[in-house]
Amino acid sequence: MRETWVVGAATNRYGKMAETGREAATRVALEALDVSGIDPKRIGYTFVSNAFGVAERQAHLGPLINTALGLPDVPSATIESACSSSSAGLHEAFVHVAGGFLDAALVVGVEKLSHLDTLAATSYFAMGADSAFETRNGATFPGLYATLAHAHRQKYGTTSEQLGAVAVKNHANGAKNPHAHFQKEISLETYLRSPVIASPLRLYDCCPFSDGAAAVVVAAREIVGAPSAEPLVIRASARSGSVAEMQDRPDLTGLPATRTAAAAAFRQAGVGPEKIDFTEVHDCFTIAEVMALEDLGFYPKGRAAAAGAAGETSLQGTLPVNPSGGLKAKGHPVSATGAGQVVEIFEQFNRRAGARQVPKTEWALAHNVGATGGSCSVHIFSHR
Amino acid sequence: MSEETLRLHSIAAFRRGYEEEGRLLGFRSACGFVTATWALQRTGRLVAFTVQTVPSDEFLNEAPYAYALVDLDGGGRVTGWIPGVAEEAELSVGERVQFVRSYKPGVQFARVPSGGSPT
Repeated sequence: MRETWVVGAATNRYGKMAETGREAATRVALEALDVSGIDPKRIGYTFVSNAFGVAERQAHLGPLINTALGLPDVPSATIESACSSSSAGLHEAFVHVAGGFLDAALVVGVEKLSHLDTLAATSYFAMGADSAFETRNGATFPGLYATLAHAHRQKYGTTSEQLGAVAVKNHANGAKNPHAHFQKEISLETYLRSPVIASPLRLYDCCPFSDGAAAVVVAAREIVGAPSAEPLVIRASARSGSVAEMQDRPDLTGLPATRTAAAAAFRQAGVGPEKIDFTEVHDCFTIAEVMALEDLGFYPKGRAAAAGAAGETSLQGTLPVNPSGGLKAKGHPVSATGAGQVVEIFEQFNRRAGARQVPKTEWALAHNVGATGGSCSVHIFSHR
Repeated sequence: MSEETLRLHSIAAFRRGYEEEGRLLGFRSACGFVTATWALQRTGRLVAFTVQTVPSDEFLNEAPYAYALVDLDGGGRVTGWIPGVAEEAELSVGERVQFVRSYKPGVQFARVPSGGSPT
């Protein structure tokens, strides 16, 4: 297996895009290629993610992006894995490059849903759940994660104030990120006053619907030469899955796919959770960050919520979590989210993260979940 | 529906069971093929739930309602919904519920007052 690097990464500001998804995807791809210093002709494949492209009445985005990039002869494919689509794309790129089938690959994720109303957008999101057993009984994504939050609270006594601390922390980080959808801090009082969407989750427990695009350039170390930016060495790229329907899982206080993907990733990387300096985790809802930190092995079950409320996961804490602001504040453009997490780690490794720069950046982990854990990616990165 | 079709379409059979026949069907399958089908019990206990104040598009006129996981007496965990629940405090884990025929798609449950019939 060849040592494989992330040599370029770029994102736009999440939120509401005036341009189409294909234009935004092309723009961030160009920027990521520019950052990488790689001759675009070295790109052997483009892995595109655009799970809800049908909302723009557009499928088959790869050739459109490659044509706009001046690479019409480069093959492409769309990778869909709900909210973990572009980390699944990164995994494909890694497998092909590390395995020697490609020298370099482009990973692009993009989503645009802001032209739909909230109800229509919620309906698109719900397509990632089980239509026969979940959506048909009235579940929304807040409802599904609320059910997990309810079970977690039943077992571990997780409080609203502890969930609120996740939202307050991620908004504080997002306020320092020029690419974040929400660049404003919130207080715990604001959180507690926000309306209940699906008990126990409130409005400020939920990530927003965001438009956005992110791109990552992956290349084999041996073809790079002198990189123009500090690369991320991909030490692990692992994917896993869980029983799709929550009703068929014995335990509702975590996501099985996170546990199995993390175990595989730490095995690949040859390090344990204690080695990780900071992490971007999938906080589509505050409870998801709590569960992720436990399932990834950073905290024992039932301990992450209190640790977060005590400040351990803040920028100055022992394990900074979601310095970008996370899905909660940076935003959640479904198919861009996984690649966007890698952009944040790239910026942090290159010490370009400004006011949200974390102190230590030797090792980082990215965790990206599809739906309620039906799929999951864990990537681990280090310096050269 | 022929036996052969039924064997390949447990979701269709499950749906027909609760929508048309008024019963919850359990399935055991091997390699994607249904090898056994039986009627599940109608009563059970709440395992986990949420009260959705913001509904899905198909449940627009039903909010607030509870979305719930139910462990049925005699085995089987099913997903369903309970109309007319406005506050989380109205329900509790372990509470007894019963499957009822519904006017909507979806598996509908109702609370069972202790010792009584469903509300």
